[in-house]
Amino acid sequence: MVTRQRWLIGSALLVAILATVPLFTDRRDLLNLLFLVYLAVCLGQSWNILGGFAGQVNLGHAAFFGIGSLVARNLWAVQNYPFSLAFVAGGLAAVAFAMVIGMPTFRLRGVYFAIGTLGVGEVLRLTTANALPLVSALPTELVNTYDLASRYELALGLAAASTLAAYLLLSSRLGLGVLAVREDEEAAQATGVDALRHKLAALAVSALFAGLAGATFAYYHVSYYPELAFSPHWTFDAVLITFIGGVGTLIGPVIGAVFYVLVREQLAVTLVSVHQVIFGILFIVVVLTLPGGLVDLSSRLRRPRKRAK
Amino acid sequence: MSPQLIAQNLVFGLFVGSNYGLAAVGLSLVFGVLRVLNVAHGELLMVGGYVTFWLFTLTGLDPFLSALVCAPVLFILGLALNQGLFGFVERLDEETKIKNSLLISFGLTLVIQNAAQALWTADERSVSSSLVAGGTVVLGVALPYTRLAGLILALLTIVALHQLLQRTYFGKAVRATAEDWEAASVAGIDVQRTYLITFALGAALAGVAGTLVSIQYSIAPAVGIAWTLKALVVVVLAGLGSIFGAFAAGLLLGIAEQISVFILGAAYREVVGLVLFLLVLVLRPQGLFGRPH
Amino acid sequence: MPMPDTPTPMLQVSGIDARHGDVQALWGVSLEVRQGEVVTIIGPNGAGKTTLMRTIMGLHRPSAGTIHLEGAPIHNLPPHRVSERGVILVPEGRRLFGGMRVLENLEVGAYAPEARRRRAETLELVFETFPILAERQQQQAGTLSGGQQQMLAIGRALMGLPRLLLLDEPSLGLAPIVVQQIFQVVEALGRQRGVTVLLVEQNARLALEVADRAYVLEQGRVAGTGRAADLLTDPRVQQAYLGYVPAPTEAPV
Repeated sequence: MVTRQRWLIGSALLVAILATVPLFTDRRDLLNLLFLVYLAVCLGQSWNILGGFAGQVNLGHAAFFGIGSLVARNLWAVQNYPFSLAFVAGGLAAVAFAMVIGMPTFRLRGVYFAIGTLGVGEVLRLTTANALPLVSALPTELVNTYDLASRYELALGLAAASTLAAYLLLSSRLGLGVLAVREDEEAAQATGVDALRHKLAALAVSALFAGLAGATFAYYHVSYYPELAFSPHWTFDAVLITFIGGVGTLIGPVIGAVFYVLVREQLAVTLVSVHQVIFGILFIVVVLTLPGGLVDLSSRLRRPRKRAK
Repeated sequence: MSPQLIAQNLVFGLFVGSNYGLAAVGLSLVFGVLRVLNVAHGELLMVGGYVTFWLFTLTGLDPFLSALVCAPVLFILGLALNQGLFGFVERLDEETKIKNSLLISFGLTLVIQNAAQALWTADERSVSSSLVAGGTVVLGVALPYTRLAGLILALLTIVALHQLLQRTYFGKAVRATAEDWEAASVAGIDVQRTYLITFALGAALAGVAGTLVSIQYSIAPAVGIAWTLKALVVVVLAGLGSIFGAFAAGLLLGIAEQISVFILGAAYREVVGLVLFLLVLVLRPQGLFGRPH
Repeated sequence: MPMPDTPTPMLQVSGIDARHGDVQALWGVSLEVRQGEVVTIIGPNGAGKTTLMRTIMGLHRPSAGTIHLEGAPIHNLPPHRVSERGVILVPEGRRLFGGMRVLENLEVGAYAPEARRRRAETLELVFETFPILAERQQQQAGTLSGGQQQMLAIGRALMGLPRLLLLDEPSLGLAPIVVQQIFQVVEALGRQRGVTVLLVEQNARLALEVADRAYVLEQGRVAGTGRAADLLTDPRVQQAYLGYVPAPTEAPV
């Protein structure tokens, strides 16, 4: 299909161009901002895979982020393994944890799944806060070799990879089953779709990218607060980004991430808490009136006819 | 380990638990009747705490008395929130309704918490009562009057709610709507209006809980989420369908926490409740006192 | 006692279309019920009978058509308003408030102001009609037997002082002897108390025996109508709904 090819080529070009940015500039503020955007894209895409595609509202997403972060940080900064190893290990650890909790929690329906995952996330946060020191710093050699450009590239790669993964999932047979489960789990089950297996698959991919994002977070920060990695705000951010951009769509988390990070950085300078109020209101507006998010808004503006109910 | 010590811990667990129970009852009521899970419930509690604080700071009104102001103020806020916000999703089918109300209340949490932070700063606030101070010792167990008064106030509120639900026609309408809203509608009950008033009642209950929290703990914008979580834990422990069940589960949680603090130390206080919560969720979803779904 | 033909029928359903999402369940359904009549709607499973009842009650919004009660439109009213006007549904499957006691179920039935005012005398009447309910008034509704639950459901509806009682599948899941009891009550309601009844029933024979007139609903459309007595002897109805198979010597119609 020509359009699809165009999109793929266009996206690849965009990523390639963005990858060259560190070659042209040394500005830390720009690189940091883009880093945050890329991290946000990955965060959104990872949540969207379970929350948007599979329709399972996971309020404990921060747990995956935190585990990936903790494992990676420990292996890299404390035990001195190369970061590439720590990175992968972080992602896998998150997936392993997800599989363990996935089995019991997926037996819960709807809202009970949401609050169950919320509970899990909180247990992890509190346990981490109690068991680990408040903050740790990087050993000196790692501080000396700290290079923002590589963090930038990693985050960009992750944003691209998570989006690609979402795309591949959507166009696969597995993805079809996942979407069917979202629409009507019982009906899907009746037509032979093993709902649990599909939900677990979506959960695995979701946890993987959340964990890798967490690992990237651990790589990025010099001083590291373990409890922060498990903070529910990662979940909130993921949910906000996804919904504002357009839940269940491929490009939604990208748009949402760009919008969210840019607006937040802009507002946080002037009005500290107000930006969260604005996002909260925007989120509510989206849920109530614009379920498709900003993605839907643009297409609605282009074809102003009433949607059939 | 003297019997006094055990009794002291039990009693303290009851004191703490009565707050948990009161915080949970409003949430349970709204979820049971409207099938709306309002995760902003803790924020309403926090607002109630601030109402008490500002009344105390600006007018010197004793915090225990300000519960009488808090309840109607939060009731009106609840009316506004339902009318202007949740009402839009209440007509949807149950699954969509639950999901959307969860999301909406999540957004509301962000709005209220951060608005509070912007307006009143993140500083912790506390109040003290001049009416109720000091304490007594009974059989070697210390009973601070503030705590005791809190327990009594919580109990009175619960009993009043119970009477409302059992003895009044409106209460019957609420219970009928909770069981089967279509059948209730056919019987002549205005379901939308019942939802509206029940939601506002839930907010009022959160307000009263907030008053007690401001006296016994402190109030800051960040405490909203903590109390929502606490209320959620209690609601899951209790299961749906019983007001007294929710309150009892709150008391039990308070006691369980005290025991765990005793054994494991203060750091893991919160974890105990959450672990129980997860266990009940997975092993006995209808809760300890609820009816099977 | 049936009144002589009144100019405006009590209930007038005209051209009702109803949908479930994208699927259309009712197509241009029209029927009327006159004061004091017992009218029944028979037809196979899935014909749309329950949808029709729910639409009349206001639980379902029609996509086209009108419903008038004594000349006044009710098709846009929410169920509690329809109930206030005197149309009350005894839903399929009873739909009792299982966690509440028998007496409380009845009390809730008399929620509307007028009904509430007269609830003491109505309660007596209901207890007279269903003595078993009086016996078990403090019992939890969910613990009653099927037949008792059906009586409670009818009793609850009666507490609302209905002028038109909608009964949806009252015999569902009940033993034959209990069904007989229920239908005796339904007949008495119609004949003695002057309550107008619109009855949807799988058990076509019983329904036709107790009714004055009947409609046949098939696949969302009115396939036929007439006096109940006539339909009882109509060979097509007999074959389709009364389980009557013509003997081999008889010529097929």
